[in-house]
Amino acid sequence: MIARLTRHPAVVPIGAVVLAILIGAVVILLAGLNPIDAYAAVLQGSLDVRNLDYTFSVWGFICGMGLVAAIPLRMGEFNLGGNGQLVLGGITAYVVASQLGLPGIVAVPFALIAAMLVSGGFAAVSAPLATRFGIPIIISTLLLSPVAVAVASYLVRFPLAEKGSGNAQTPVLPEDAHIWSLGDLRYTTVGLLLIIAVMVIFYVVDSRSAVGFELRVTGANRRFGEYAGLKPGRLALGAMGSAGAVAGLVGAIIVLSSPYRFIDGALISPGYTFAGLAAALLAGGRPALVPVTAILFTILQVGGASMERTAEVPRQLSDVLQGVVIVILALRVVLDRRRAGAGKDS
Amino acid sequence: MSTAAVELRAISKRFDAVVANDGIDLVLARGTVHAVMGENGAGKSTLMSILFGLVRPDSGEIVVDGETRSFQSPLDAIAAGLGMVHQHFRLFDSMTVAENVVFGAEPTRGGRIDRAAAAERVRSLADRYGLDTDPQARVGDLSAGARQRVEILKALHRDARILILDEPTAVLTPSEVTSLFTVIRRAAEDGTTVVLVTHKIQEVLDVSTEVTVLRDGRVSGRFVTADTTSAELVRAMTGREVEIVANPGTGTLGDTVLEVEGVSVTDARVERVSNVSLSVRRGEIVGIAGVSGNGQHDLVAAILGTTPVSAGRIRLGDHDVTGAPVAARRAAGLAVIPEDRRGEGSAVTMSITENLSLGHHRQPPIGRPKGFGRGWMSLAAARTRAGEQISSYDIRTSGEKQPVGSLSGGNAQKVVIARELSFDAPLLIAEQPTQGVDVGAIEAIHGRLLDYRASGRGILLVSHEISELLALADRVLVMFAGEIVAEFDRSQASAERIGAAMAGAAAAAGEEWTA
Amino acid sequence: MSIFEWSFVAAVLTSATPILFAALAGALCAQAGVFNIALEGQMLWGAFAAVAGSYYTGNAWAGVLVAVLSTAIYSVILAVGAARWKADPIIIAIGTNLLSLGLTGFLLRVLFDTSGSFAPQGLDGIGTMPFLKGIPVIGDVFAGQSVLVPLAFVLIVAAGLWLRLTPGGLRLRGVGEHPDAAATLGIGVARYQTWVTILGGGLCGLAGAQLSLGNVTLFTENMTAGRGWIAVAAVILVANKAFWLPVACLGFGAAEALGFRLQGIGAPQQLTDAAPYAITLVVLVIMRVVVTRRRTHALTPKETLV
Repeated sequence: MIARLTRHPAVVPIGAVVLAILIGAVVILLAGLNPIDAYAAVLQGSLDVRNLDYTFSVWGFICGMGLVAAIPLRMGEFNLGGNGQLVLGGITAYVVASQLGLPGIVAVPFALIAAMLVSGGFAAVSAPLATRFGIPIIISTLLLSPVAVAVASYLVRFPLAEKGSGNAQTPVLPEDAHIWSLGDLRYTTVGLLLIIAVMVIFYVVDSRSAVGFELRVTGANRRFGEYAGLKPGRLALGAMGSAGAVAGLVGAIIVLSSPYRFIDGALISPGYTFAGLAAALLAGGRPALVPVTAILFTILQVGGASMERTAEVPRQLSDVLQGVVIVILALRVVLDRRRAGAGKDS
Repeated sequence: MSTAAVELRAISKRFDAVVANDGIDLVLARGTVHAVMGENGAGKSTLMSILFGLVRPDSGEIVVDGETRSFQSPLDAIAAGLGMVHQHFRLFDSMTVAENVVFGAEPTRGGRIDRAAAAERVRSLADRYGLDTDPQARVGDLSAGARQRVEILKALHRDARILILDEPTAVLTPSEVTSLFTVIRRAAEDGTTVVLVTHKIQEVLDVSTEVTVLRDGRVSGRFVTADTTSAELVRAMTGREVEIVANPGTGTLGDTVLEVEGVSVTDARVERVSNVSLSVRRGEIVGIAGVSGNGQHDLVAAILGTTPVSAGRIRLGDHDVTGAPVAARRAAGLAVIPEDRRGEGSAVTMSITENLSLGHHRQPPIGRPKGFGRGWMSLAAARTRAGEQISSYDIRTSGEKQPVGSLSGGNAQKVVIARELSFDAPLLIAEQPTQGVDVGAIEAIHGRLLDYRASGRGILLVSHEISELLALADRVLVMFAGEIVAEFDRSQASAERIGAAMAGAAAAAGEEWTA
Repeated sequence: MSIFEWSFVAAVLTSATPILFAALAGALCAQAGVFNIALEGQMLWGAFAAVAGSYYTGNAWAGVLVAVLSTAIYSVILAVGAARWKADPIIIAIGTNLLSLGLTGFLLRVLFDTSGSFAPQGLDGIGTMPFLKGIPVIGDVFAGQSVLVPLAFVLIVAAGLWLRLTPGGLRLRGVGEHPDAAATLGIGVARYQTWVTILGGGLCGLAGAQLSLGNVTLFTENMTAGRGWIAVAAVILVANKAFWLPVACLGFGAAEALGFRLQGIGAPQQLTDAAPYAITLVVLVIMRVVVTRRRTHALTPKETLV
C-alpha cells in the first residue's frame, strides 16, 4: 500500500517542494531567523482575503509565463527569453493603446493582439536560428532577451517618457485603454480570464490535436519525428511563436492594468518569468499541472513581501526556493533509478 | 586440459525477466582459436561482456591462468591479460592511430606523452602481427578494416594474451576477412588465445580450433572444429535442421513504384553511395545484399529524404521526389521499416498507441482530413486501432498504454512493422526487418512481407543475411563500397554466388590487409 | 579618434577577463562532454564570495581564495548531479543559476543588511601591477590591471598545452569524444567529468572575483548580467578550436568597452548595454554561415524546414 502510494506520479513534485521548504527553513535558521514565523507570514500575506485579488492576478501572470516555458518544453526546447518577450509585449501594448488614438472599444483588443504578434514574432526568430544556424534555442533566447529589454528601457526613458517625472515611466494610459476589471476588483481583470482561456486551449491542443501530438513526439525522439515526416523546424517556429505570443499577452495585460503605464523594470522585477519556468519544470511541461504548480510559486512570490515585513526574512528567499526546487527535480532521476532497482529485487 | 588460459565456471546472468546466461561453462585452451557461436540473443554478447568485466555475473567464477578473478571493470580484465575488439569500434575519430593505441596506457617522458615512443610501439606491434597501419593517420579517415586493426593493436599494446573478437567480420569485405584470419592464426601461433564470437558457420570452420555453441543462454554443444560438420553446428545452434522458407512463387509484376537513377550520396566529403540505379515494381521484392556499411543505409536515407543526394533522381510512382521533404515522399507512397528501431523507428518513452498512430494521426479514423475537425485527433479511435493491431500482429503487451521501450525487441519491432505496413504504401523499404528478433517473430515478419507483396505492392529489402534474401527476394542486388556490383534473378541467386559477388568485387580492396 | 588608444585596449582586456575565465571553464567541460551552462550562476556566486571574503579578512587574496574554493564546492551540485548521477545538466544549471541569484541577494541582506549593491569603505581590491608603468605599450595596457588578467591568458595557454601534450589531457578529450571507448580502456569517465566540472567551478570563482574585486571593488545584485551566457556562446562559437577562445572573448570585451566609450560621448546606456548580446548572436550566425558555406558544396534538397 505504501509502496503504491510512493509510486504515484505526484510524489516526486510534492516531495521536491517539501524538501525545498525544509532546505529553505534551514537557510532561514542559519541566518538567525525564525522559519515558522517566515512561512506563516508567507501564507498570511498571500492568502489573506484582502490580498486575494492581487494574489489571483499574480497567479495568472505566473501561469502565463509557465506556458511560455511549457510550450517549447513539450518539444524538448528551453525558452529562457521570457523576460524579453514579456517586456516587448508590454511596450507594444502601451504604444498601440496610447499613440494610435484608437477608440475605446478597440484600443484594448488591438493592444493585446499587437503585443501577441510582436512578441510572438520576436520569440519565433529563435527557431530559424536553431534550424538554419545550429544555435541552440536556449542560447539564442537568452541572448535576444536583454536586447529587447534594453530597447524597451530606452523607449520608456526617452521617446515615451513621462515629461517632468523623475521615474523611468510612461504617462498613464487614457481611461479607454484600461483593461476591464472584474467587478470592483482592482488587480483581477479580464486579463486573468484570457490567460485561463489560453491555458485551456493549450491543454486541448496538447492532448487532442495533431500538432500537439507532433510536438510531443518531437520532444520524445526528434529523429523518430523526422523519419515519420514531421518538420521540427516548423514545429519549433510554431511553439516559439505561441510561447512568445503568450508572453506578449501577459506583458500587455500587466501594462493595461493598474497602474496603467509602462514602468521600466516593473515587468521583470517580480520574477514572473523564472517563477513560470519553475512552475513549468515542476509540472514536467504537462499543461494540466501548470496552473497547480503555479499556485506554489504565487504564494512564494506574493507572500515574500509580507515575510520580509513581518519576519524580517529577505524576500530573495523565494528565488532560493525556486532554484532549490528545480535542482531537486533534476536530481530526482537518482530516486527513480533507486526505485527501479528496488522494484527489481522484490 | 592443464593449459587452460581461461575457465568460466557456471556463469549465470539475468536482465529483468530475461535469462541471458544460465550456468555456462567455457574452457579456453592456451594458443587456440576458440569460436563461441550462437544465434542473435543466444547469450554470446553477455558472456563476453562478463569475461571482459563490462557486466558482472549474478553467479559463477572466472579463472584466468589458474587464479580466480573478480572483474569490477574492464580495467581488471585488461590487467589479467584480456583484450577485446568490440563489434562497434570504440575509437576516437579525432585522434591518430598511435594516440588511440596508447590511450589510457601512454608512454611518457617528463609528464608529457612520448609521441615518438608511441609511434615506435605501434610500428613494432604492427610488424610482429602483420597489421599494416600508419601510426600518424587520423582514425576518422580510415576504412573499417584499418579501424579494426587499430582495435587489435590497442589490445596487443596492453599485452593481451587472451583476445576476444566480437563479430569481427560483420563490417569487413570478404578479402579483409581472409587477411584477418591470417592475423588470428599468427597470434595463436604466438601463444595468444583468441576467442571468436560469431554466428557465421563458415568462419568457424575456416579459422577456429574449438567451438562452443550457445542456445537460449546455455551451452548446446562443444566441438573440436576438425571433427565437426556445418550440419552439426546448425543443429546445435537452432535445435533443428534449418529449413529455408520457400518464396511461394512470384506475383504478377505491375507498375514501377520506385525508380532510382544515378543517385550519389556524399557525407563529410566521403562518397557513401556512388551512381546507384535501381527500380522496384509492384508485386516484387528487390533485395539489397552487402556487408554492413557499404552504403545501403545511406541509400535508404536518400530515398526517405533524411539525407540529401549529391547527384541523381528519385521517383516514387509518378512523382519526382528528389529534394522533396520526407512528408511529401511518404504522401507519394512510401513506408520504411528502419534499421535503428530505438533511435529512429520509435519513441521508447511513448505508448504503443502513440507509436502506432504517428503518421496516421491526420488520416481517418484518428484524424479528420478536412472540414471542421481538421487537425484534431480522436483518441478513442487511436486506442481502438491500436488494440486491433496489437491482436492482429500478436504484440505481447500489458496494454496499449505500455511504453514501447519496455517491450521485448521482437514486440517493439512488430509495433514498427504494424505502423509502416498499415500505410498501405505502394513501396515498402524494409531495412534489417528481423534484426535482434527471436525466431518465432522472424517467421511472422517474413510472412507479413510476403503477404504485402502478394497484395500487389513492392518491397525493397535491405539485409545482411543472405539466407533472408534468398527466402524472400525476387531479385538480389549486391552493394559494395557504395556501388551496385552485381544483380541476380531468383533463379540464378544462391548463397555462394551472392557471397562471391560481395567477395569478387572486393578483390582490389584486399591489398590493405596483407602484411 | 580617441577611442583607439592603449587605454581602450586595457578596457577591452578588463571587460574580457571574467568572460575568459568562465569560457575556459565551459570549454574544458565541453572537451570532457559536459554541457555546462551553469557558468552564469557560478560566476555570480564567485563575485559575491570574493567580496564577502575580502570584507571579512581585509585581504583581497583571501577573497579570491574564498571565491575559488566556495564556487568549486558550489559546482559539486552540477558535477555530481550531471556526471555521476546522469541528471539533466540543463535543468540543474537553470536551478543553480536561479539559486545563485536568490542566495546572493538573500545573503546581501542577511550579512550586510543592504540590498542592490554593497561597496563598503576600504574594501580591498585585487592588486594591480604598477611596476609595469613606464614600459611602453605593456605598461599602458597592463599596469592598471589586476594580476588576474595576465593569469587568465596564462591559464588558457596552460590548459591548451595540457590537453595536447599530457596523458591526462588526452584522456579528458577521449572521455568527451567517446565515453564508452574511454571506459573500456579503464578510464573513469564520471570521475574525469566530475573533476573537470569542479575545476570549472574554481575558474568561475576566479571569473567572479575578477569581476567584483578586479574590474571594480563592489558587489551588486545580478552583477554578472549575462556574462556567463556570453561565455557559453563563446564556447559554442569556437567549437573544438580552443585556440580561438581568447579571440572570441576579446571580441566581446571590445563590444562592452566600446559601449562604455560610446556612452561617454552621449549614446544611451540602454542600447550600449544590449550591444554585446546582439553582437554575440550576430557573430554566431556569421560563423555558422561561413562554416557551412565552406562545408557543403553538395546539392542540397530544397529547403524543407521552416
